[in-house]
Amino acid sequence: MTGFDQLLGGFAIALSWKGLLYCFIGCLWGTIVGVLPGLGPLAGMTLLLPLTFGLDPAIGIIMLTGIFYGAMYGGSTTSILVRIPGEAASVVTCIDGYEMARQGRAGPALMIAAVGSFIGGTVSIVGLMLIAPPLAKVMIAIGPSVEVVLILLALSVISVVSAGSRVKTVLMVALGLLLGSIGLDNLTGVARFTFGYTSMAGGLSFTSLAIGLFGISEILINLEKTETIKAIRPKFKDLMPRSKDLRDSAPAIGRASAIGFIFGVIPGVSHVVSTFVSYAVEKRFSAHPEEFGHGAIAGVAGPETANNAVTGTAMIPLLALGIPSIPATAILLSALTIHGVQPGPLLLTDHPEVFWSLVASMYIGNVILLILNLPLVGIFVNLLRIPYAWLVPIILIISIIGVYSVNFSVADIWIMAISGGVGYILRKFGYEMAGLLLAFVLGDRLEASFRLALTMSGGSYATFADHASIIVLASVLGLLFAVQALAWLFGYRKSVADETEGA
Amino acid sequence: MRSDFETPSGVGTGAGQSLLRAVSARRGGICVAGALAATGLLFAWQASLIDFGDFALPGPGFFPLALAVSVVLLSVVIGVEDWLGAGHQGTIELGHRDVLIVLAALLAVPPLFEPLGAYLTLGLFGATLLVLIARCSLLVAGLSAIIAMVACWYFFQVALGLQLPIGAILDGLGM
Repeated sequence: MTGFDQLLGGFAIALSWKGLLYCFIGCLWGTIVGVLPGLGPLAGMTLLLPLTFGLDPAIGIIMLTGIFYGAMYGGSTTSILVRIPGEAASVVTCIDGYEMARQGRAGPALMIAAVGSFIGGTVSIVGLMLIAPPLAKVMIAIGPSVEVVLILLALSVISVVSAGSRVKTVLMVALGLLLGSIGLDNLTGVARFTFGYTSMAGGLSFTSLAIGLFGISEILINLEKTETIKAIRPKFKDLMPRSKDLRDSAPAIGRASAIGFIFGVIPGVSHVVSTFVSYAVEKRFSAHPEEFGHGAIAGVAGPETANNAVTGTAMIPLLALGIPSIPATAILLSALTIHGVQPGPLLLTDHPEVFWSLVASMYIGNVILLILNLPLVGIFVNLLRIPYAWLVPIILIISIIGVYSVNFSVADIWIMAISGGVGYILRKFGYEMAGLLLAFVLGDRLEASFRLALTMSGGSYATFADHASIIVLASVLGLLFAVQALAWLFGYRKSVADETEGA
Repeated sequence: MRSDFETPSGVGTGAGQSLLRAVSARRGGICVAGALAATGLLFAWQASLIDFGDFALPGPGFFPLALAVSVVLLSVVIGVEDWLGAGHQGTIELGHRDVLIVLAALLAVPPLFEPLGAYLTLGLFGATLLVLIARCSLLVAGLSAIIAMVACWYFFQVALGLQLPIGAILDGLGM
């Protein structure tokens, strides 16, 4: 069966009534959580994760992925109309997007953001389709030692690209790995840190931890905010951009597609970093850099294209290597595992229908989002009328039912509540949660591969520096330094710090 | 284009409703680092009770012990940084009234979830938050909670087939 036949098979699943329905639900919910401040793709995905348990794995993943890129689309709406980023990747869009809205040009800004998102998203899906299958074939041949090197590097890159303190990020990674070791040891069956509770034998529930650390802590932080939302609502007839807007945006969209595509494979906060880099690149390339910050359309087109171009490429490490690069793909990893599907090199041979239906659904989802986001923008903006105090109980009740339904265990509600409180405190003091969650997910595999590699090599640590490992190490290190140089060059860390202070 | 509406994004807008306390970022940072170090020490102690193996063939205690020690060391580094003033400057506000209410309500859910049943517990949880955070009247909060729970029952139990604990009270009523 050729790749093209498999893609057609994927389209058959994605275009079935169930595939379309759940793709639509995912895109709609994703747009809603992207629009609502305080609810990002991660909270949106974790909240609906339990709903996928009764579904076919391919359909469940189609819905969750729809939430992921739907949130990226939705985030731009609040950035442009309200100057509040619906999620972190839309922070940069606020700068010129809101300025355009103030000048009465919200329509073109939204239109260009949607078109850029569509193009960026589509480019990255093509990349996913072309790169993941051959990469998976290569990965089948590698051993546990290379897997150890890859996972360690993925976790190292998170600390390098983090906007906050590196020591704190490394600490969060170590804590995530430590929390991941709770439960029965995979190789010997010895109970670790269970403190005599049988409910802890399976380890901490990923869903509870993710909802607590990201969803609940975000809600608690938002409860403290007191500013008033001033929304600008555009009319549908005002959406069409001028020809000058199109001329200014087209090259920005092209460059940002490439930037997002490259940054998508970098672990950590690639969707956020790519927007900052894209904005800086557009400013450098612009004939009128002085317009940036005062309503330059390229300042909207670039970042919005870049953050959507990340979505497809962020799937490559997950689907081809089984290593999630950002927290949102960690949720997908967890969902696939719950469904009995192991992401990684064998996914394409054992469950090709999951991979290809996901690829097909992303094409369809991009079209759905374009249709959803432009004519219905007024409706989505109206969501901001709902007082946050009314949303909080609704979100929390769904979260509680969600975490309980994973294992039907009250212990999971405890974990969610406690990790919500802990996450709130840690975030107030500048600790980032992304590293902790990714490390938690990867901890089991890192330890198992580490011990297996040593057993296979008779206890020789030289196994971690064999030929294949060195090639991987050198390539990723090169990439790491390139990212660091770019981030430094374009002042990403400073921009984030400024943004945090200003928030 | 027109500015159509204004809505408070957060809820702590009322004067006198907030119990915010400004905590020195430096002292708070040291306390958080201390708590993390203590957590690391607890894990390190527990990990030391598990078979360590040796460096060539690590046992189940090797990885957790190494990580727990790393957590302790990194926490100490952060604590020292904060102590020397290299970390946070200024103050951090903690103890917002609504945050404390939500946390307390969340922690009250697990012990009641099975004895009272999911719907009754979550109905009470929702009504409490609506009264205390959204400042609704008891009647509005109660009615909203009932409607929300009926919707939850229909969606989760009828549509999705998810069996949530019914609790002794509703069970006694034959529901």
